[in-house]
Amino acid sequence: MTAIEKIDKILSTRQLLYTLLIIAIILPLIYPVGLPIGISSRTKAVYDYIQDDSKVPPGSHVLIEIYYEVAARAELEPQVIALMKQLFEKNCKLVFLSTITYGPLAFQFLQASAPDVFEGKTYGEDYVFLGYIAGQESAVASLAKSITGTVATDNYGNPTSSLPLIVEANDASAYALVIVASSGTDTFGWYVRQWYTPYHTPLLFGALSVIAPSIEPYVNAGQAVGMLTGQRSAAEYELLVGRKGLGIASMDAQSFAHGLILVFIIVGNIVFAYTKLSKRGEKK
Amino acid sequence: MGAVVRRNIPQIIVTIIILLMVIFYFFYISSEVRTAFNTWDKALTDWVVVITAMAAIVGGVDILRYHVNQSRKKEPKQVFFSGIVMIMEVIMVAFAVIALSSGISIPTQQNFQWLYTYIYAPSDAAMYSILIFYIASASYRAFRVRNPPALLLLVVAILVMLGNTSLGELLWSGLLPIRDWIMTVPNTAAFRPITMGLGFGIIILGLRLLLGKETTWMGRRE
Repeated sequence: MTAIEKIDKILSTRQLLYTLLIIAIILPLIYPVGLPIGISSRTKAVYDYIQDDSKVPPGSHVLIEIYYEVAARAELEPQVIALMKQLFEKNCKLVFLSTITYGPLAFQFLQASAPDVFEGKTYGEDYVFLGYIAGQESAVASLAKSITGTVATDNYGNPTSSLPLIVEANDASAYALVIVASSGTDTFGWYVRQWYTPYHTPLLFGALSVIAPSIEPYVNAGQAVGMLTGQRSAAEYELLVGRKGLGIASMDAQSFAHGLILVFIIVGNIVFAYTKLSKRGEKK
Repeated sequence: MGAVVRRNIPQIIVTIIILLMVIFYFFYISSEVRTAFNTWDKALTDWVVVITAMAAIVGGVDILRYHVNQSRKKEPKQVFFSGIVMIMEVIMVAFAVIALSSGISIPTQQNFQWLYTYIYAPSDAAMYSILIFYIASASYRAFRVRNPPALLLLVVAILVMLGNTSLGELLWSGLLPIRDWIMTVPNTAAFRPITMGLGFGIIILGLRLLLGKETTWMGRRE
């Protein structure tokens, strides 16, 4: 057995890769290295859009769809928190809702993760959580026409018609922006079809890295003002709004894990090329 | 009579609903028309919301029935799995009963929150996290340069991966714009036909439903 074959045998051992991965993820989380995080032009464009008073006027209404479960929380929650901070600083009024059953508990986690962001904000006036709304795209379409007509009570049992914020902003025309933070692909299409196309309500997407490529055509066609993609965008946005959170904290771990995978891919290819060449040599 | 009830009446209902949905969505000619349509349009979409909520109950009953039948087969493993599903269903029904009697919605009930926070949430997060090990292991084997397209795939994968990390920023600041270009130009070019194809597919399906050519939704394969 040649040295290269021995290396291939060692690297092919799953246990080795798994152990190294665990180390590459846990160590940077315990001892952060503080690798530099550059701000991408796309993330900056989203930030600038919200900062622009002509596009999102101070005090305007923003709808936020919380469509993710715990598995996707690490990527999407930091995005939502950073966006909320920026919007609350502009005194925007936020209406949260969820068309996924996990939504109410995801919102509870969100509140627990960012008490500083919600501090000083009054429920019913500055923000509202409508809870889980069944019906998927039909529910989204119905909400665009009338929120009180679709949901009788919010997540906590308060009649929606008694909430000042909902009375002020009861249909799509009252919203300056809709943020869709989703771990699913379909959700983005629902809002494009039911909010953007008929009412021209600007949309902003918060997506997982793994599904972002599939919804890119909507952004490229101008049907959404921008998109935040995964943990990377979350970390960039946290830097922009000046609130260090889970996004920045986990970037080192993500970088080391990606780096390790890259090393394995490159070494694997060197071994593969060597084996291929030596087999050709043997044949000749 | 049987065929009329089972086939013709559902088909007529579906055709009318499709026509109304098309009119309500595409015929917003003016604000007056919109106002006139809005009541019926809203009623129609609200029906869907109500039907979807009711369908969840039907789904629950169906799962329960399936697992009751499965557990009758007395295969030890299956009895165990079916037992868990049935117990969870009973618990959810109990939560619903509490919600109806107390007026406290299910997600805000303390016991439900405990179940979610300490049982469902860790399991869900763990299941998703495990993916990294499979992806890492698979990428070591899959990204072998066997031919020129595979080389192109590998180069793009490396650029995107590095562009997504702080490590890439440390190596070369130009990686981030390259990643953005790959995502917005070649990636979008590849995904746009898929999105459009999906759209055309939905239009064709709608037409087939409208014309009564598509009958699988009635439980038939003909």
